[in-house]
Amino acid sequence: MAEIEKVEYWRWTESNWKNPDIPDWRGSLITAGVDIGSTSTQAVVMADGVPYAYSNMRTGSNSPDSAIGAIDWAMKDTGLTLEDITYTIGTGYGRVNVPFSNKTVTEITCHAKGANYIYGPTIRTILDMGGQDCKAIHCDAKGAVTSFMMNDKCAAGTGRGMEVIANLLAVRVEDIGDMSFQIDEEPDPVSSTCVIFAKSEATKLMRTGWTKEKVLAAYCHAMALRVVRLLERNGMELDFAITGGIAKNVGVVRRIERIMGIQALKPAMDTQIAGALGAALLGKELVEKKRAKENQ
Amino acid sequence: MSYEKLLETNISGESAKAWKASGKKAVGYVCCHVPTEILIAADVMPVRLRATNCVDSSDAEAWMSSFSCSFAKSVLQYLMNGTYDLDGLVQSDGCMMATRILDNWSHIAKKNGKAQFIHQIGAPRITNEISIGYYKAELQTLADKLGAFSGKAVTDEGLKSAAAKTNEVRGLIAQLFTLRKEAKVSGTEALRIMLANCDLTIDEYIAALGEFIADAKGRGPIKARARLMMIGSALDNPEYIRVIEDKGGLVVADALCFGARSFGEKLVIDDKDVLGSIADYYLTRNTCPRALDNRPAIHKEIVDTCKAYDIQGIIYEKMQNCECWGGESYYLEPDLKAIGVPMLQVEREEQMANAGQLAIRAEAFVEMIEK
Repeated sequence: MAEIEKVEYWRWTESNWKNPDIPDWRGSLITAGVDIGSTSTQAVVMADGVPYAYSNMRTGSNSPDSAIGAIDWAMKDTGLTLEDITYTIGTGYGRVNVPFSNKTVTEITCHAKGANYIYGPTIRTILDMGGQDCKAIHCDAKGAVTSFMMNDKCAAGTGRGMEVIANLLAVRVEDIGDMSFQIDEEPDPVSSTCVIFAKSEATKLMRTGWTKEKVLAAYCHAMALRVVRLLERNGMELDFAITGGIAKNVGVVRRIERIMGIQALKPAMDTQIAGALGAALLGKELVEKKRAKENQ
Repeated sequence: MSYEKLLETNISGESAKAWKASGKKAVGYVCCHVPTEILIAADVMPVRLRATNCVDSSDAEAWMSSFSCSFAKSVLQYLMNGTYDLDGLVQSDGCMMATRILDNWSHIAKKNGKAQFIHQIGAPRITNEISIGYYKAELQTLADKLGAFSGKAVTDEGLKSAAAKTNEVRGLIAQLFTLRKEAKVSGTEALRIMLANCDLTIDEYIAALGEFIADAKGRGPIKARARLMMIGSALDNPEYIRVIEDKGGLVVADALCFGARSFGEKLVIDDKDVLGSIADYYLTRNTCPRALDNRPAIHKEIVDTCKAYDIQGIIYEKMQNCECWGGESYYLEPDLKAIGVPMLQVEREEQMANAGQLAIRAEAFVEMIEK
């Protein structure tokens, strides 16, 4: 029997990056942030508070291995070793499993700090759409959290839910956003209370003759509605931005904007690294504070 | 007796067993609108039902509605599986969920041939002369029936003697709150101690609590990153607070019906109308927002506590399907904002299935408010 090719539609593209504008990190204060999420892990290395290198990869079954894998990939071809990093902060669900970290900070605090760096000091509301949860965060001009709210219990409205739909419809997860606009008319949303219910409903809609595009539109619509409720519960204050993997899905982002009647700021860098970036920045602040105290 | 018993969270039922072995009755009750003075005056041991450490409520789920809260289901489970082996159940209609415990237990006990003293009292949801009078009449009926059941009539003298004991407890609890304010007792420990009042006889409790307080006075303050207050639905699980305190918060105050709200100020008895004094006290004290006319007073008490205890943040835990604490945040939040105290809202179930979710929220909240 011929082996059937198994396509993992849910898999998103892993990446790493090195800042071409920093030819040499030596002499700089090097700090790092490692964000071990339920689905993805990011490591960001900063030189004097400027992103120098990062990696963004899937989280494996072993969090310490994921942390080591992510930092190694970020440092690849840079000449950096762990010994060169003055301070590392671990964040995300696996924050206590970063074997080389000096401290742990929650991803809520780190995302606010990271978004403040990515989008600037005017950012006040951040929607972090992660792999298995979703957070509405308010912050001040320095990126300090002033209030937050997280989704409860279900993975509906998160990256994992999107991966389930990608596999069900045999559509690459990265193509879902664009495909969801290839429709004549916006359909009603599918169930947004449960990933399993949404999956059952999508299957039923396919049987009744809906195109994949229309089902994806209904799913993106449902996901947008779900997170809008979270945003409304926590209150909306502009400027507004979205971080996390789902920020890359235009099908969800544009629908959130349409429902809320606002525009999200457009990112200049990978939104998935916001947590790790914030962690590295907080690490820099802590080192500088400590040094200032020692010099007093 | 050493005070170690105060810190035991499992429901052993040892005190009730010993009480019953002496030929006397022990009766369970749900909700703090059941005045324990009446039970004590009838020489009945009051056992406040709780569901601490319940890990499976599947038997009770077959009886209760899917819209019942998991606290009510878990209490019924403990009645059904024999964790509680008592002579009866007295219930106030504190909330509909609690009322369903009595309805179902009454039926199940009868079906299983288990003789039980079953009685429900109506506690009006508004406080005025008429409602207090009605409530007093309800308490009189309870007193009469309970006296007949136990063989010891409830008299004014009996009620006054019982109130003297419950007031002794209230006085000791006030000392415990001072120790919490001074950060000498954690929120986890305080809830354990207050829960022990549910299962011990009042004399055992007074003795143990007195010993504990004498000991704890000599402690140094606990170091913490933020001083917190807990409010919300019936919380009978100290582990829930431990998760929060493990993340750097210290719960120095609460407005919980298994905590501060179940004790309150001392009960002042008017000799001319002893039962009327009890009715007035229990109906007008602000235990939870079940009443229609006490919510502004509850909010004010929470705000006042924030000021008195130097609270940096409030954690509002809301049990799924809780009718009393379901939507209070909307009304309370502006009052808290006015005094600069942020509030974290968390949903929970009786069984601790979401410790990780709670931990991340608590840790982020502490990071947000720590000075």
